[in-house]
Amino acid sequence: MTATHHTHHHAHAQELSKTDPRVKLIAAKMKKENHKPDALIEILHTAQNAFGFLPKEVLNFIAKELHLPPSRVYSTVTFYHFFSLKSKGEHTCLVCTGTACYVKGAQALLNKIESQFSLKPGQVTADNKLGVQVARCIGACGLAPAVVIDNDVHGKVTEEVIINSINEKIGTI
Amino acid sequence: MNKISVIIDEKKFDVDPQKTILEVCRENGIEILTMCHLKGLMDIGACRLCIVEVEGINRLLSACTTKVAPNMVVKTATDRIKRYQRITTELFFAERNHVCAVCVSNGKCELQNLGYKVELDHIRYPHLFPQCEVDTSHPWYVMDHNRCIMCTRCVRVCNEVEGAHNWDVMNRGHQVRIISDFNTPWGQSTTCTSCGKCLHACPTGAIWPKAIVQGQLEKNPVMVTELVERRKMKL
Ligand code: SF4
Ligand code: SF4
Ligand code: FES
Ligand code: FES
Repeated sequence: MTATHHTHHHAHAQELSKTDPRVKLIAAKMKKENHKPDALIEILHTAQNAFGFLPKEVLNFIAKELHLPPSRVYSTVTFYHFFSLKSKGEHTCLVCTGTACYVKGAQALLNKIESQFSLKPGQVTADNKLGVQVARCIGACGLAPAVVIDNDVHGKVTEEVIINSINEKIGTI
Repeated sequence: MNKISVIIDEKKFDVDPQKTILEVCRENGIEILTMCHLKGLMDIGACRLCIVEVEGINRLLSACTTKVAPNMVVKTATDRIKRYQRITTELFFAERNHVCAVCVSNGKCELQNLGYKVELDHIRYPHLFPQCEVDTSHPWYVMDHNRCIMCTRCVRVCNEVEGAHNWDVMNRGHQVRIISDFNTPWGQSTTCTSCGKCLHACPTGAIWPKAIVQGQLEKNPVMVTELVERRKMKL
């Protein structure tokens, strides 16, 4: 059953940008599934792939679109071990390894990250400052190779750009 | 309606086959202990207190979710049943932090009453002493997870009767907790209508109104049952 009464409205979740390719990707997935609440798990998988984890704003977006109570969505997320509510690392670098990005050099970017920070996909630094993850297509193929550092989507990324952007975030420069 | 015959505790009853064992027992004055059951809400068979023995079936069955069947032979008060009920009750106390002396429900608590019923004098299991939150963010009500037994009556009344679906359950195993919205403070809920039904449905002192003195809380779970009955009549 969906919520039928709304007396209080608190905007406790930050707005997502409609132009964020990751948001568009989730929106497209929901549309493909006809916004069926049954497709929640599939949609959560899409979201986790694109974001590397499930931020609160993303859950809020999905709950609204599917007309599901927030607590129902949160219940599902916490029931399955493959969903994560927290990013691995204070700062995150998500490298898209979908077909378009792979062809345009995603592996070279990962190699560069590994040589620079000794991090393989799925790992975090010992001080938990930086985590590196890979995603299948995040919906920014036109910008391949695409990388998301924290919440910034970078397109046509070079090895130099990726290292500089990460350093800027973690403040080692 | 065709009636069927069942035998409960060696007595024969002619009953409507749509009924559960629990309904038949209650209608006929046979005592069955329950906790997650609240008449008017959907039964989920979660607490396992209402267990009965049914001839020909080895497992104990929950009376609240098992329908009667022709010539069923049911026992409600065997030693085996009593043993399990006592274990279940002890675990309720051991799983969270129940300090009756300082509880708003002291003397009027369904869990306390259950303890008396199963003649609980001590708990044979180690207390888990989990770290539990007390959410005081709602302007009128408090949610104290220390006293929650995860019966989910609050979840069901809020969803099925009020239609708000503020509550749900997060995690699994011993980490399970009742949550409001995105595990966010109750006072920030975008779904709660502040109707107070969950407070009355809750069998313990887990949900209580702020305007109350210790031991003075009178809950009215029957209100939920009556509300559901009245709505059915209207339909
Ligand atoms: S007060 Fe009413 S709407 Fe709010 S959580 Fe309780 S039952 Fe749901
Ligand atoms: S808060 Fe009360 S009604 Fe809700 S699950 Fe806990 S004990 Fe049951
Ligand atoms: S393959 Fe990388 S954005 Fe589509
Ligand atoms: S009352 Fe039947 S299982 Fe809880």
